[in-house]
Amino acid sequence: MTATTTDLSRCPMAPRSVRRRRLVNTVITTSSWIAAAIGIFVMGWIVVTVVVRGIGAWNVAFFTQLPPTGNDPGGGLANAIVGTLVITFGAAVVGLPLGFFGAIYLSEFGRAGRVATGIRAVTNIVLGVPSIVAGMFAYALLVLPSHHYSGFSASVALAFIMLPVMTRTAEDVLNLVPNELRESALAMGAPRWRATLGVVVKAARAGLITGAILAVVRVAGETAPLLFTALSSPYWLSGFFGPSGYFGGPTANLTKDIYDFSQQPYPHLIQLAWGGSLLIIVAVLGVNVVTRLLFQRGKEW
Amino acid sequence: MVDIMDTIEPGAESAVDRPLPPRLEVTPGVASYDTPAQFDALPSKLSVHDLDFFYGKEQALFANDLEIKEHRVTAIIGPSGCGKSTHLRCYNRIYELYRDQKAMGEIAFDGANILAPGTDLLSLRRRIGMIFQKPSPFPMTVFDNIAYGLRMHFKLSKSELSERVEDALKRGALWEEVKNKLNEPGLALSGGQQQRLCIARAIAAEPELILMDEPCSAIDPVGTAKIEELLQELKSSYTIVLVTHNMQQAARVSDYTAFFFEGRIIEFGATTQIFEKPVQRQTEEYITGRFG
Repeated sequence: MTATTTDLSRCPMAPRSVRRRRLVNTVITTSSWIAAAIGIFVMGWIVVTVVVRGIGAWNVAFFTQLPPTGNDPGGGLANAIVGTLVITFGAAVVGLPLGFFGAIYLSEFGRAGRVATGIRAVTNIVLGVPSIVAGMFAYALLVLPSHHYSGFSASVALAFIMLPVMTRTAEDVLNLVPNELRESALAMGAPRWRATLGVVVKAARAGLITGAILAVVRVAGETAPLLFTALSSPYWLSGFFGPSGYFGGPTANLTKDIYDFSQQPYPHLIQLAWGGSLLIIVAVLGVNVVTRLLFQRGKEW
Repeated sequence: MVDIMDTIEPGAESAVDRPLPPRLEVTPGVASYDTPAQFDALPSKLSVHDLDFFYGKEQALFANDLEIKEHRVTAIIGPSGCGKSTHLRCYNRIYELYRDQKAMGEIAFDGANILAPGTDLLSLRRRIGMIFQKPSPFPMTVFDNIAYGLRMHFKLSKSELSERVEDALKRGALWEEVKNKLNEPGLALSGGQQQRLCIARAIAAEPELILMDEPCSAIDPVGTAKIEELLQELKSSYTIVLVTHNMQQAARVSDYTAFFFEGRIIEFGATTQIFEKPVQRQTEEYITGRFG
């Protein structure tokens, strides 16, 4: 009756060595732990060092005054804080909408088409380009023709770095929206743009906002692109147009100040550089943590 | 633009002042039954003629012919992958969201071929509502979900809008459960409630035909019973096409049943006839559970 069934009793299965399995398990688990511990330890070391060295620089003057000239003690990085905020904000104004609409094109319209595939490939390449190349790009595009450095060109350089980050994360988030939702909106007689902006984007909004914030944070600590663009400035940012002390001219910023001051022989300037580093770390970490906490709950929509 | 009035044969009643057909005697649990003569006399809301469908180069539907009668529930049954949903998705051309999908043939909706190039999809989709397998509330409040189609297609004052939303929720048999939750997210409702929300959302836009693509397959039995009950109430005002893999459901709620197999319509007739005296051998085998 069971002519087609093999008689399994003739070839008993030898059990695999339990000891060996346990050993392999232990080795792999332990090495993962060690690898993770090394990574976390180094990160912790950096953060602790920056906190210990930088916290002493934080006083009222640090947040309110210009950097000291020459040997004078005291002073702060207030102009650089303002400059970094303005440059980053400018980059976000340019980079985020472009990235957002690019992602909408890729996920909603281009999809697997040839154009979209090409854009995706270029995005991936730009994502891997060293940030100083973005600085050189803005230098050639804006600084050379205008014959002077500018905060504006720094914003463009940072936007150039931000764009692929935003595009990729936004596309990933939009792709998570189930197709049923797109179909439901279209089946209600919604035009394509309305279904996209009113339903798909809305469904993905928590992820989109998180992505946008993380893209901004990603560039906030960049130094290299600013070397050829914003340079730095000992003055307050006092307006938009103009060569010096204006957004259109060299603009003070935290990362370039850290870079400059840390190479000075004066201890109080080095102290300011540590304070600036601490500020960037705290800001980036803070925004990261707050964003993740805020939008973890957002998934229920 | 093709004017619908031009495409109706002379002598036929216009779509607007056509009287409602007589209500069927509906005994709960027993499907209603039109005689063949009654079937022929009933106006068709939608007639499918020679419909082929392609996913890329692969043909999924072959020469489908089907008459969807006004104010009746037509069920589409068949084994998985037989083309039930594909067929339904032609009625509002929702398949066009995907580039490689293509339908050929004729689907006359109140006389006008909706597969024709000039068809205004936005108004077509207002007139033909669709409910999907998975409840898909929009990421907004219960109220805004219902108001979505209303705001899009009609100019309404705030109070008119609220009235319409309440009315749609009542017709969707959901009002009592959500009247104190109108400002809560639609996704906070239970699965069965979400599906009735989607039905109410479709009803709110005043459709004439409602397509349902396995609307109960993701819903628990209690929720399913409520939706089936709702279908019986809805068919006095709307025409309903129901795709289902659940034969008992088709037998319970539909007036007509089409049996699909491998992209072809094997048999179409009154539900009682299909379930009690199927003509085709394949239909009988499927109904009696020998395959599928």
